[in-house]
Amino acid sequence: MSDAERPMDDHVPGEEEGFEPIEVFPEAEEMDLRPGADNCYKCSTCDTNCPVAEVDDEFPGPKFQGPEQWRLKRQSDHDIDDSVMKCSNCMRCDSACPSEVPLSQMHNTARAEYVEENMSKLSREYWRNRMLSNYRKLAPIAATFPRTANFVMGLSVTQWMGEKVMGITGEREFPEFATQTFRGWWAERGGNDTSRERARAARAERGEDVENPRKRIAYFHGCYSNYNTPEVAKALVRVYEHLGYEVMVPEQACSGTPMFANGMLEDARLAAETNVRELADAIENGADIVASCSSCSMSIRQEYPELFDFEGTEDVAANTWDAVEYLRVHEDLKGELEGTAVDGEFAYHAPCHARNQGLDGQTVEVLSAIDGIDVEDVGDSCSGISGTYGWKEENYETSMKIGEEMFEHMEDAEATTGLTECPTCSMQMGHGTGYEITHTLEVLEAALVGAER
Amino acid sequence: MAISDDVLVIGGGIAGATAALAAAEEGADVRLVTHKQSTLRNASGLIDVLGYTHEGEGPIVDPFDRLEELPESHPYRRVGTEAVREALSFFDEVAGDAYAGDHTDANALVPTHGGTVKPTARYPVSTAAGLASDPRDTLLVGFETLTDFDAPLAASHLEAAGAPFAARGVTLRFPGIVRDDAKLTRYAHLLDREEPVETAAGERSAREALAATVKPHLEGESRVGFPALLGDEFADEVRAELADRLGADVFEVPMGPPSLPGMRLEDLLYEALEDAGVRVVSGVPVVGYETDDDGTIDHVLVDRHGQEIPHEAGQYVLATGGLVGKGVRSERDRAFEPIFDCHVPHADDRYDWFVDDVFGEQPYARFGVVPDRELRPLDADEEPEFSNLRAAGAVLGGYDYAAEKSGAGVSLATGYVAGGRAGAEASR
Amino acid sequence: MAHDTEVLVLGGGSTGCGIARDLAMRGVEVTLVERGNLTDGTTGRMHGLLHSGGRYAVSDQASAVECIEENEILREIAGHCVETTGGLFVQRPEDPDDYFREKLEGCRDCDIPARVLSGREAREVEPYLAEDVKRAIQVPDGAVDPFRLCVANAVDAENYGARIETHAEVIDLLREGDDIYGVEVRHESGPGKRTHGTPGTTEEITAEYVVNATGAWAGQIGAMADLDVEVRPSKGVMTIMNVRQVDTVINRCRPKGDADIVVPHETTAILGTTDEEVTDPDDYPEEQWEVDMMIDTLSELVPILEEARTIRSFWGVRPLYEPPGRGTTDPTDITRDFFLLDHEERDGVSGMSSIVGGKFTTYRAMAEEISNHVCEQLGVRASCATAEEALPGSENLAVLEEGMDDFGLRSPIARRSKQRLGSRSQEVLETDEPNPVVCQCEGVTRAEVQDAIDQSGSDLNAVRIRTRASMGNCQGGFCCQNMANELHPEYDEATTREALDELFQERWKGERHALWGEQLSQAMLNYALHATTMNRDNDPASHTEAVDYGAFDSGDSSVRPSSRRRSGGD
Repeated sequence: MSDAERPMDDHVPGEEEGFEPIEVFPEAEEMDLRPGADNCYKCSTCDTNCPVAEVDDEFPGPKFQGPEQWRLKRQSDHDIDDSVMKCSNCMRCDSACPSEVPLSQMHNTARAEYVEENMSKLSREYWRNRMLSNYRKLAPIAATFPRTANFVMGLSVTQWMGEKVMGITGEREFPEFATQTFRGWWAERGGNDTSRERARAARAERGEDVENPRKRIAYFHGCYSNYNTPEVAKALVRVYEHLGYEVMVPEQACSGTPMFANGMLEDARLAAETNVRELADAIENGADIVASCSSCSMSIRQEYPELFDFEGTEDVAANTWDAVEYLRVHEDLKGELEGTAVDGEFAYHAPCHARNQGLDGQTVEVLSAIDGIDVEDVGDSCSGISGTYGWKEENYETSMKIGEEMFEHMEDAEATTGLTECPTCSMQMGHGTGYEITHTLEVLEAALVGAER
Repeated sequence: MAISDDVLVIGGGIAGATAALAAAEEGADVRLVTHKQSTLRNASGLIDVLGYTHEGEGPIVDPFDRLEELPESHPYRRVGTEAVREALSFFDEVAGDAYAGDHTDANALVPTHGGTVKPTARYPVSTAAGLASDPRDTLLVGFETLTDFDAPLAASHLEAAGAPFAARGVTLRFPGIVRDDAKLTRYAHLLDREEPVETAAGERSAREALAATVKPHLEGESRVGFPALLGDEFADEVRAELADRLGADVFEVPMGPPSLPGMRLEDLLYEALEDAGVRVVSGVPVVGYETDDDGTIDHVLVDRHGQEIPHEAGQYVLATGGLVGKGVRSERDRAFEPIFDCHVPHADDRYDWFVDDVFGEQPYARFGVVPDRELRPLDADEEPEFSNLRAAGAVLGGYDYAAEKSGAGVSLATGYVAGGRAGAEASR
Repeated sequence: MAHDTEVLVLGGGSTGCGIARDLAMRGVEVTLVERGNLTDGTTGRMHGLLHSGGRYAVSDQASAVECIEENEILREIAGHCVETTGGLFVQRPEDPDDYFREKLEGCRDCDIPARVLSGREAREVEPYLAEDVKRAIQVPDGAVDPFRLCVANAVDAENYGARIETHAEVIDLLREGDDIYGVEVRHESGPGKRTHGTPGTTEEITAEYVVNATGAWAGQIGAMADLDVEVRPSKGVMTIMNVRQVDTVINRCRPKGDADIVVPHETTAILGTTDEEVTDPDDYPEEQWEVDMMIDTLSELVPILEEARTIRSFWGVRPLYEPPGRGTTDPTDITRDFFLLDHEERDGVSGMSSIVGGKFTTYRAMAEEISNHVCEQLGVRASCATAEEALPGSENLAVLEEGMDDFGLRSPIARRSKQRLGSRSQEVLETDEPNPVVCQCEGVTRAEVQDAIDQSGSDLNAVRIRTRASMGNCQGGFCCQNMANELHPEYDEATTREALDELFQERWKGERHALWGEQLSQAMLNYALHATTMNRDNDPASHTEAVDYGAFDSGDSSVRPSSRRRSGGD
């Protein structure tokens, strides 16, 4: 019986209860972002900020990838242009657009659609990207046997294999794995209980109320500071505890940044679901969330609410902070730093994802309160690595071309130590200049905590 | 409060940057908060003061001569001619060698990518050799892949406009560009970085290859004009090398958007801000404010991804731009200033916001806040909205910068005055 | 008496072009004259709905049946102009159940495939429908590009030997006694393609038979020969949204009313419409309340429209006709059927028929009927083939769908280009020259613009309707200039400048009705680009008063050599 032959009463077929429009898109790749093109008035400011379009004319720029491509779409069209894979997801276009076009959301969604519809699941590229974006899953193995891993990763044969078999550039050195992960250190140190005691002691010393449930943060450390640079994570813990904060370290998965960048939206969704759940719990327990990696905080603050709709996503996004920003707003950080001294010169690079959060001037401003320090901003160019982007054989050259301006400015600066808040920017800075690269929290630790550790 | 300064400037275009610099010069601690990138990247990079009167008379030879004729409500009248001159000198100091035109009060006529000429008081040094009052014969060079500049057409247009020289245009292929939709910044980068490109004669640097492409088309012209893409960071070097290789002066024809001269001007201003110790926060919007009991602004709220962070200052400057910069917004039944809801006069009926001739006297082009002589926005009863808020640039109403060719000049003059007064008052 | 042509068709809309093609295919010698551009009258001013007949299934079943038949034919012969979107008649909770039932029954009576969807199912098809919609009837409505369809008919007529004269306004009907034997036209720039700035000429074109297919203007033409043609022009507004909020035609399922349809049209969605009788089809008020009503009323069905950006509004006049004596007052109640008025039968004046009423979807059937009538008059026996023979661009569309290369274009640009050009894609897009995008909003490349210029001369509005260049969200702000550049050097600077000014002004005309929010910001940016950056509003080339160049700054001679000096960067 065809529907047209149904008895014609006032019956309403199907059921209406609990039907919310968002459920129409259980998969993010089906999101209809065409209305986002309404905000575009074609000024091309986004294009002038795109570090990739500047060095590679194969990439048609964010305006085309975003509002133009979306506007030309019909519901049934799925032929996303393959150039979307050349976008490095630096998200500079977002903070450039004078008219609030959701550019990176459009790119993320288009990229996911491209991977889903147009990229062969059997291709080397797909598996390489999948592997790079799931660094978090490989890292634990390496971290269990860090010395072996570091040895194997360093072998020329491994590098050669990486390039030939996986399309991972042999020009870069794999990051070293720490002999003890941050979480290992944290557990050994006594976890949250120890932190609570230390925070109390610090409050007492600072003449504050010993009990202060508002001074509680949950730390989203991300993968890199757990497996590769636990000294950054430890610095965060010590700085916060020094200022009387109790630190919690919730369970967490990858923030999703590398997955967004590779169009692996399903992998990102799984990770995000865990993170939103765990972080929402922490908020429930009175904590604010802080992250030491600018891409992690970017991801949770902006990309989660743009791409996902788990319960609590908005709340988690609104209560997540960059670790330094949080102190700047909640403490008199300038006052705390007055009278402290760190002897050193730093060439500072503001990561794109910090720039995107309005934090590009923060480090220089905050650290200028410390005596004896000299921090020079090396300009507003992109480092060029953009997470996994610069690891791909086909992007290596582009990545280094983008980085050229930053390398030059670093070399022009007095300092011979680099400073940044993004782990992959830090790799690129080190790779391009041979400098030692440190994290702002480590400098704060040196100033505030000093030899106390 | 954690984030506190003497002066807080909202908006990062010419007006905001100038206000911040002027305030810093008064010895104030200054913070500049800018939401997205300014509309400078859309603008030609020319510093025009007044090209035509509000009644369309022009092109005006000496803009300073005519400022007094403008209506009382015009921002120039609010700040006075002397302030306009001071602001321009202030700009000259900031811009240094990057801009020309300060040797005379007379406007220059700069060729545009549409083939017309535009009156302007100051111009980027990259355009200097192209002035239309300079009688030297001219070759214009366009590129096949850049559809918005047709050099032969622009050349005939210049002749139709009565320019006192012979102009000729050629359309060439840009060496080293492989895709037809490469961005303007790509062209500039190739030249900036002297990237190697393949040519019939083998691998050459991009600058050398471009010069070699153009040279055979020179027929004795002593200057060659290109669309404004001759480098970004190293524009001076690019131009000088091309000039050397061509044996002719080289100039740029401003284009846009996007506009490299606009980007260079932005870089110049932001470098000056850094040198002046202005703290710049970008990428985050000011979304609200709180007042004291006496009605002055106590602090504004900056939205950082859902968190509203208070930013406190003694004095505030609103330099958020006009309809394009979104410092003035509109809905079907109203136009408004979104942060402080300052009064924006407009007709109730939106069909009175426009006239039928696209280049007619457009009311919408005059939308903006109306300031007093202190540049404080006035409410509907002509009282200052707040005692410690001033406004500058395109957020001001009562003038049509597009028709008058006065956009950069008004931004400079009002930014200079608003910032200077705010700085003086805050550090008092 | 020897005539210039066998049949002279007046009016370059869908009906006129359809007739020209039909007759030309039957071997009849045809000339068509049009006052402005093709589609300038009502054809280019409609919402682009390819009726399934569903809209007439209750009120006018004869029209409904004709619609579904023609709908199926157009999908075959004009595939590159048609998008098979499907349509929904959506019932809101406050809309009457009775009417919903009548609509469904009506569709069935007229053999219009119809299926009932629950509110939830309807929202799965169109996620932006209001949450509380009750249910919907799904019908095979479609979207059609009236410009492409009309132009394709004209091009094919030319292929069969017809002469198509645009910008040739009829200034007189040639009548001798009781016989009409031709017209006098005023060419804007001489016979053939229009060239801006070229002075016009007049021409008498004689014909054995004249067909007045000028729609809402039929009364004015009739009056030239003292014939009464009682068209009752009725205006309707259409508001164009910047993007497609829906990909299906959305009709409100309730008895007749204004603002009850959203048609996805190319890259946009078109909201329609009103129905108000006007006296002069060239001069009637275009009013704010009409635009507001489109948005406010249709937001009840598609709430996102309330906040969405509109890029322009335009009005069309329906060529409604009512036989004398019916006296219907509300234009909504006037039949949408068409009428063939043989002036010999009706008025005793031979040599001309007028065709009035009707609707776009059935243009071909109307053309067939009137062509039959004309052939009868001329004694031509060939029969109509327009239902079988595909239009240029729609031959062999299957080949296109099987995958043709992308001509070196980014895939969305290639896709849109192929959607517009159909089977002409290869012929137009394959080039060894650089083929940059000229209009970025609509993804139109130089090759396509050049192809249109070849067809239509220096008239950029004619290029626009062929390519959609300048019809996107910036409304030409960023591409008018680029389109004009494409005219040079084939056309000289003055011609190019005039063509640019005309296109820019035309774009502004419609954009005025969308001036708030983002579109007002867009308008200001466009204005700034054209007036500030280019100084086009005070272009010395267009002013009579010469500029005294010598009085202006000619450069600082003391620093002149600086541009030659090798400097050290900054």
